[in-house]
Amino acid sequence: MGIQNDRVRFNVGGKIFETTATTLAVAGRNSFFGAMFDENWNFQTENSHEFFIDRNPNCFSILIDLLRTGELFIPSNIPEKLLYREAQFYGLLDHVRAAKWGPFDGNQVRFSQAVMGQAPGDGTAIRAGPDGGCCVAHGSIVHVYDWMLQELPPINLDYQRVNDIGWIDAETVVAATSERLGRGRGGAALFGAATGELTHRFQVTHEDQVKSYTAGALSFSTDYKIFSSCKGRSNEYGIGVWDQITGQQIDFYYEPIGWSLGDADRLQWLDNTNCLLVATLFPRKDNCYISLLDFREKEHGLVMVRYRGSNHRREAGPRRDRYGREQFHLSRLMKGKMPDEPCYPKLALYDGQLFSSMNDSISVFSGPDWVLTSRLRRSYGGSICDFSIGGDRLFALHSEENVFDIWEAPPPPVT
Amino acid sequence: MNNNQKKRNFQIEAFKHKVVVDSKYADKTWKILEHAIHEIYNHNASGLSFEELYRNAYNMVLHKFGEKLYSRLVSTMTFHLKETSKVIEAAQGGLFLEELNRKWADHNKAVQMIRDILMYMDRTFIPSTHKTPVHELGLNLWRDNIIRSSTIQTRLLNTLLELILRERTGEVINRGLMRNIIKMLMDLGPSVYQEDFEKPFLEVSANFYRVESQKFIEGCDCGDYLKKAERRLNEEIERVSHYLDAKSEAKITNVVEQEMIANHMLRLVHMENSGMVNMLFDDKYEDLGRMYSLFRRVSNGLSTVRDVMTSHIRETGKQLVTDPEKLKDPVEFVQCLLDEKDKYDKNISLAFSNDKTFQNALNSSFEFFINLNPRSPEFISLFVDDKLRKGLKGVSEEDIEIVLDKVMMLFRYLQEKDIFEKYYKQHLAKRLLLGKTVSDDAERSLIVKLKTECGYQFTSKLEGMFTDMKTSQDTMQGFYATHGAELGDGPTLVVQVLTTGSWPTQPSVTCNLPSEMSVLCEKFRSYYLGTHTGRRLSWQTNMGTADLKATFGKGQKHELNVSTYQICVLMLFNNADCLSYKEIEQATEIPSTDLKRCLQSLACVKGKNVLRKEPMSKDIAEDDSFLVNDKFTSKFYKVKIGTVVAQKESEPEKQETRQRVEEDRKPQIEAAIVRIMKSRKVLDHNNIIAEVTKQLQSRFLANPIEIKKRIESLIEREFLERDNSDRRLYRYLA
Repeated sequence: MGIQNDRVRFNVGGKIFETTATTLAVAGRNSFFGAMFDENWNFQTENSHEFFIDRNPNCFSILIDLLRTGELFIPSNIPEKLLYREAQFYGLLDHVRAAKWGPFDGNQVRFSQAVMGQAPGDGTAIRAGPDGGCCVAHGSIVHVYDWMLQELPPINLDYQRVNDIGWIDAETVVAATSERLGRGRGGAALFGAATGELTHRFQVTHEDQVKSYTAGALSFSTDYKIFSSCKGRSNEYGIGVWDQITGQQIDFYYEPIGWSLGDADRLQWLDNTNCLLVATLFPRKDNCYISLLDFREKEHGLVMVRYRGSNHRREAGPRRDRYGREQFHLSRLMKGKMPDEPCYPKLALYDGQLFSSMNDSISVFSGPDWVLTSRLRRSYGGSICDFSIGGDRLFALHSEENVFDIWEAPPPPVT
Repeated sequence: MNNNQKKRNFQIEAFKHKVVVDSKYADKTWKILEHAIHEIYNHNASGLSFEELYRNAYNMVLHKFGEKLYSRLVSTMTFHLKETSKVIEAAQGGLFLEELNRKWADHNKAVQMIRDILMYMDRTFIPSTHKTPVHELGLNLWRDNIIRSSTIQTRLLNTLLELILRERTGEVINRGLMRNIIKMLMDLGPSVYQEDFEKPFLEVSANFYRVESQKFIEGCDCGDYLKKAERRLNEEIERVSHYLDAKSEAKITNVVEQEMIANHMLRLVHMENSGMVNMLFDDKYEDLGRMYSLFRRVSNGLSTVRDVMTSHIRETGKQLVTDPEKLKDPVEFVQCLLDEKDKYDKNISLAFSNDKTFQNALNSSFEFFINLNPRSPEFISLFVDDKLRKGLKGVSEEDIEIVLDKVMMLFRYLQEKDIFEKYYKQHLAKRLLLGKTVSDDAERSLIVKLKTECGYQFTSKLEGMFTDMKTSQDTMQGFYATHGAELGDGPTLVVQVLTTGSWPTQPSVTCNLPSEMSVLCEKFRSYYLGTHTGRRLSWQTNMGTADLKATFGKGQKHELNVSTYQICVLMLFNNADCLSYKEIEQATEIPSTDLKRCLQSLACVKGKNVLRKEPMSKDIAEDDSFLVNDKFTSKFYKVKIGTVVAQKESEPEKQETRQRVEEDRKPQIEAAIVRIMKSRKVLDHNNIIAEVTKQLQSRFLANPIEIKKRIESLIEREFLERDNSDRRLYRYLA
């Protein structure tokens, strides 16, 4: 195609569009336009001056605009779902995804939308997926949403109570469930995020026998290990370790007498120190433990440090940070504000910003001195019982109404 | 656009019915797509509308006919590939590969276009159902229906191997085509390339090279064989770079290495008349370099080469140091060693890429054979002596350095460095006292080298000798400044004051000096003792020289350069015409061996016989008598009358030196033992031996029996004691 022929004329559902081959090239080879203008099919350009496409012209104009400018502007009269469908047709969904929201920054995020669910009862946990989707555990079922917030088939493991959930990658969710007393099974398992199908069960083997167990909290290390607190019937109390790729059990850290690893409510892998933080609390006994399993030595994860404190904190520590400093902020925030039946505060660290949920808002602390810089709050839904950051989005799950909010940073401003 | 073309049958529909997409819809749509696929395979796609096909495929997936679409795609592609396979099979001889290549290109293009049409299915339906994506599907079907079809699989392999064989035998083949076909196998996945080509290729190659290497080794000499092996290796590397997977390089070179080198290693290095020993002998650097670079590729290759080199050096070195012919001339002997060293240094740098392990082997070999000859230290010192006496005259400073560095290298190999020191001291003393050193800088430079090699202690006495020489000069200046006037025209005296201990000890034999001289000597003694209190001077008359003027019978005048002993003898003839041996001995009191030697050099050396002996004979007897030789002539004014000195030590002298060295070693061994025991307090016998040997290594190789004797002597003198409970333990007594 010479310069003269750079212009391309489309008739989309009866409406004429003109653009250039250069603009269309932005779509990439792996798209409708990329294939259409590949030399294999190219002969047609010479013959006809107009290409007919039997699709929605309104969406076409949004998408062609996206290809021209890299920016996505959706008029209010166009439902997002419609646009997504059209983008999917042209193979431009990735472009839409990339233009929809910007890189995550706690001080720039705006409320994007709230998603209502129909599950009864309190949500247990919400986890952001790596590509902007999320999963929400409600009782014995996990609802999964893709980044377009379309609900995918829900996940369950024999409808047993889900204690924790997490993403292995954009396609795979792991759920930790309780064992059904007298009936066995339970434990942790892998599911396909898109299909909701069970793909693998993590097994705990004690003295060459497969044991049924209750999986509690989950954590993941960067070298593809999964950790879960496990409660079995007899000996199988402790922390189970599996390989994310093979699904095989690598190790099991049996809890020493007087240590409560199997009851842990929260596990946190600490990347740069190769340690696993294990937090346990007993709500009725008014005390809690925090243990540190040291993986730096290849020997059996030595229990190195053990804190013991009163039962005011549920959170074991933020992602990727030292423990003590976070607790300081927490206690300052909590002074005299605790409601009778509290949603325990949660913490998260993301790109140098600390996020802390308290009642119905999430506070953002920034800088080396952890200054409070933003507060994310929506009046609907009651206290926030869990939140999670991932895929450049923040998901906050409310406790009173079955609803979760999505916060995302707007795309970079027009320059 | 197809489903509204239904025939308009009037039909009353139920009030409420499930909306089902016309079941024929899928078939109709598929027909369109199938037609398109046929057209694509038939190179007839120009009439197709991409938009329409894409939309149809999209609609099929959207309306849940993805499964149908996919399975029909598989069967249609399979159908076409079966047809293709027949065409390829039908290709004759050399056209086979070309046809295969052409069809492969067609297939790739077709799959790409099909994938374009079915892009939506590829993106949505296939991942969610875990099916094989279209592109990969196309590869798999090609693999199963073409490459692994019973009729093509072996033919393809045989054709490829045949072509490679032809290339190996020198024919030119179509490398571009080869590259395309091999690339196809690689595209089909590593397992296809490895199973269907690489493995058999390596087996066939191994056979080929096994046979070829057998042929070569029987028909070629070692150098030619290596050249051929190297060429083969390079050919294979080149082949890989032209049309095989880069990962095959290590594997195929491994095959060549194994078959052509590893399997024949020993036979090659030991090949008669052309093996490694011959190469070393003839300095065939290129062949040796080739051997090195080839052998280093196989395990134990280099060690084999190194072992042959080591044993060769040891063998030739041993012959050299034990060759009685060579022992006659120490300078020649050391020069041979140096030449040998140069030869192998050059070898290692040119052929063995300065391999450290080879250098170490060379060093240890030299150390081995140099110490086989106990006279090596003496000879090396003599070599230095020779170089510093005259050999270096007119040689640039850098060259001196080079020679000295080489000597130091040999010195490093010596185990009995203390013996070298002994001889070096003697030789240096002679050079200094007789004023025979050519270059003071060279002397000092060597001392610095010895110092860095062996430490301060080793050279402190040698340096003391240089200091003495310098101070003596000053002393003489001072002496003549004070006494010069009163001495007048008498003989001139030059005294060198030697510090006892710094110089090789000589039995101090005094002789009677001529009166003119003894007066002068007395003056000097009183001058010296006057300026330096508390010292003692004794004359070493055996080491001095003198110049004297003599007038012979016909009035011819000569200046004679003689030793102190000789002047003592000659001065006697100022007052007598004929003297008997006995008279001379009585008058001079020179020890008889020295006197004999002295007289011999005065009377029996042709051209320098200033004396005449009665009767004429070669040797000096007790009843000989001597006269001034009036008929003495020489074309030179200055005549140097040398003493008959043995350059090399004679057998008894050697014994004596050896004994002195042994004697000197005793205190050193004892000192080492005491040092070690002082820090260790308790130590067993074997460990003491080991540590003492280690400590003294830089000077000499201590004899364990001698060490044991020294320990016993120290126990006697109550420096050490044996442990009461364990007799093997020694205890230090503070």
